[in-house]
Amino acid sequence: MTEQFSVLGKSVKRKDAIEKVKGEAKYIPDIQLPKMLHAKFLRSPHAHARIKNIDTSRAEELPGVRCVLTHQNVPKKHPQRKFEFLLDETLHHPGEEVAAVAALTPEIAEEALKLIHVHYEVLPAIIDPEEALNPGAPLAHQEYGSNIYKGTQIVNIPRLEEDGWLRLGTGDVDKGFAEADHILERTVESPMQYNCSPMPRSVICEWAGDKLTCWADTQLPLFLLRDLAGSLEMAQANIRIIANYAVGGYGGKSPEKTATLAAIMAKRTGRPVKAVFSRAEDFIGTHHRVSYKNYNKIGVKKDGTITAIYSKILANWGSDTVVPYVCQSSALLGACNMLYRWQNSMAESQGVLTNILGYGPMNGFGDPEAIYAVERLVDEAAEKIDMDPLDFRLKNCMRYGDKAMEYEQVMNGPIEWGILGPDLDSFPELIERCAEKAQWKEKWRGWQTPMAVDAYRRRGIGVSIGMHHTSFWPASAIVKMNQDGSATVLTGAVEIGQGYGTATAQVAAECLGIRYEDVNVILADTGAAPAAIGNVASCGTSSPMNAVKIAAEDAKCKLFELAGPRLNASVDDLEAKDGGIYVKGTSNSIPIADICFTNWQITGTGNNPPYHSIRDEKTGKVIHAYAAAVTIVEVEVDIETGKIDIIELTSGHDTGRTINPIIVENQIDLGLVMACGWVLTEEYKIDPKTGILLNPNLLDYKIPSFLDMPDSNHFNRVVSERPSAWGPFGAKGFSETSMTALGPAIANAVYNATGTRVYCASLTPENILSELETRKEEVSN
Amino acid sequence: MSKQEIVLNVNGIDYELKVNVTATLVDVLREEIGLTGTKVMCNEGACGTCTVLINGTPALSCMMLAVDGEGKEIQTIEGLADQETGELHPIQKTFVERSGMQCGVCTPGMILTAKALIDENPEPSEGEVREALSGNLCRCGNYQRITECVLTSAENLKNRSTK
Repeated sequence: MTEQFSVLGKSVKRKDAIEKVKGEAKYIPDIQLPKMLHAKFLRSPHAHARIKNIDTSRAEELPGVRCVLTHQNVPKKHPQRKFEFLLDETLHHPGEEVAAVAALTPEIAEEALKLIHVHYEVLPAIIDPEEALNPGAPLAHQEYGSNIYKGTQIVNIPRLEEDGWLRLGTGDVDKGFAEADHILERTVESPMQYNCSPMPRSVICEWAGDKLTCWADTQLPLFLLRDLAGSLEMAQANIRIIANYAVGGYGGKSPEKTATLAAIMAKRTGRPVKAVFSRAEDFIGTHHRVSYKNYNKIGVKKDGTITAIYSKILANWGSDTVVPYVCQSSALLGACNMLYRWQNSMAESQGVLTNILGYGPMNGFGDPEAIYAVERLVDEAAEKIDMDPLDFRLKNCMRYGDKAMEYEQVMNGPIEWGILGPDLDSFPELIERCAEKAQWKEKWRGWQTPMAVDAYRRRGIGVSIGMHHTSFWPASAIVKMNQDGSATVLTGAVEIGQGYGTATAQVAAECLGIRYEDVNVILADTGAAPAAIGNVASCGTSSPMNAVKIAAEDAKCKLFELAGPRLNASVDDLEAKDGGIYVKGTSNSIPIADICFTNWQITGTGNNPPYHSIRDEKTGKVIHAYAAAVTIVEVEVDIETGKIDIIELTSGHDTGRTINPIIVENQIDLGLVMACGWVLTEEYKIDPKTGILLNPNLLDYKIPSFLDMPDSNHFNRVVSERPSAWGPFGAKGFSETSMTALGPAIANAVYNATGTRVYCASLTPENILSELETRKEEVSN
Repeated sequence: MSKQEIVLNVNGIDYELKVNVTATLVDVLREEIGLTGTKVMCNEGACGTCTVLINGTPALSCMMLAVDGEGKEIQTIEGLADQETGELHPIQKTFVERSGMQCGVCTPGMILTAKALIDENPEPSEGEVREALSGNLCRCGNYQRITECVLTSAENLKNRSTK
């Protein structure tokens, strides 16, 4: 059956395109308010220290300074439910805020920071996550009493077991390993990564009486609202958060603490306060992709059946996190329990506290970090039984009907397995289509056989699969019909660059049968739009956009009810198209504008149903939504310099349904480029003694450029569209998934090229050279 | 802090300003003149985001003092569309038609760098586009699309000039 859509599936122009190409889009740093003050923050130079004494008198005397905050004059509140207070007497990582200054200009505020005198008592710090587990190791948080996070009074994790481990499994792993012909095990660490939003964190707070308006560059307006209201002890209704033109956060955009401090300073001075981080501050004062130490053990039969997997993940959280165990629960599910049909699986994870900057959400959120290790061991397993690595994956990959669970369940329970929907038959489809596109059969010459050897240059090919969940959360939306028949959509979600506003307008226009140009989407204004969590965890399409579709259908019903009598037809016989309400199959119609002109009250509302109401037609089981990724990559390794060049990249993704093809491709590319940077060029250099980040700038921390990616002739995207049970018209969130498979595919290709399995975290030239040398010695010994 | 009186010619308009001698061009453009279309990503010359054209050549406005901009023609993203009709420049049009942006922060710098390239080399190859833009970082990873947009823009400009 081919469905006819008027605007869905078309690459319409982005709603925000014109203002972005003209420089008219107003981001937070571009906004100027009368009498506005500028805030700057003094940050801890130590990994762990206590403030013995802090003297701000000279800073306060500096002309132009209007407000100075320290731990002595702000409320003792935990921002984002973290351990630390807003401004704390004890500092738990280098870069933690010690004081805040608001002044007439950013320069004066900066100058004032230099005049604040702090006497620190330096405390023993723990930097290495494994040392942190040793008895007698320094405690990252002395008051907590352990470096292993077991929940706090503020954050309770019901599913965390008493020994401090989060566990998830199915079947019987001991039995599975007993059935195996071969058992392989390996430890691989995954590197940290800096979100590196193109625009450092920024916020403006302004009061009118007892009401606060906060212009924030956030992808989580709901959490920001909750946090601001909690810290300021005021009703959420009296706070309005506006997040127009948020800037790519890739998971990390959420300025809770900064917003609260700016709000306090704005209140005390009676003037608006703007805080814009410098790039260095954004590096050391926000958060980053977590690092996992992944231990995996896999059992495999000679015929290529994987019988069991056991995974143990030690996560280095740094000093604190806004998402305790949430990230690991993703990994326990996707990477460790659901990447393949391994009948028996057990995964366990622990979060370790250290005195480095805390981790936070970033693209893929737990899955890429674990898949990076799992998919390298899967490759070794395929080699062990001498099976083509692509065939091995095809044989074992997940499909429709396989056991599945939603990640919130891992945190809160109850643990009840549902299934993957029909859309997850995309795995075999993507593997086969990517293989064809990448000419796998021609290029793969067998284990231990590189594609080409030319002096110091070795060429190889590798494959990996990946997956990540699509979140489904409560969300509501309003579709307001205007008198001329155009529609205004109100949604609590955020346009952060991903194209949410555009795709949402397409969905509303499609439902209402009106032109895309006649839909405008009002985004992320908590004073105007109904709630949505924001745009995180690939939920935008399946949650808030789904609510918009339901709201648009509701508005359409109301139009039908008014049109029916005028067309002498029953509501069931009507359809909306071309700006009119038609009696199906006839030209008998009435323009939507005519109905709305006299009925200006028409408003549709929509609420997402609970996720457990989405059930498989055949089995009645709850369907959980995941997206699949397959990546085949061809690399060239220079064994003299250790440099890896990506020669050709073929990547397959499933969207459920593509709402806007260009936007889909752009989101795929985002994931691939980010994965490329994550494993090849970006490397956190943290001083093992002091915990200080040594490269907090974009000269020494290299994110990929045009030249790090292959040209258009060597860059292939494959998209599968199998409608998902979740999301509007079968569309689902897939963006984060797009990065999950590239990292391990590169590592596997490096093995094919060089004959050496590299187990280092970042595959930087320095690390590759060192690995090639080490493994050579291991072999000769 | 010592101040200096200068005249900056930006997008064809002379601005008489009194600026700190240490002020960078990007700060003066954004804070003094109010042209906030020029964006800042790193503020240390590593990302190309704040690119403006100085006498037609791309320059990083975060690495240049405002006082050094005197006597030069400075073009920012606000000066690219037809100043009289408001019609978008052909490169801007392609970026709109083909969604050559995501978050949009790198977009002004990308478009201006592309303009300088096409002005100098009206028929660039894909490799030349990638090379010319390699100093402009896009964290949204839109490199394939931006390359396509610049090549299409060059084609459109060529067709327009031969009409």
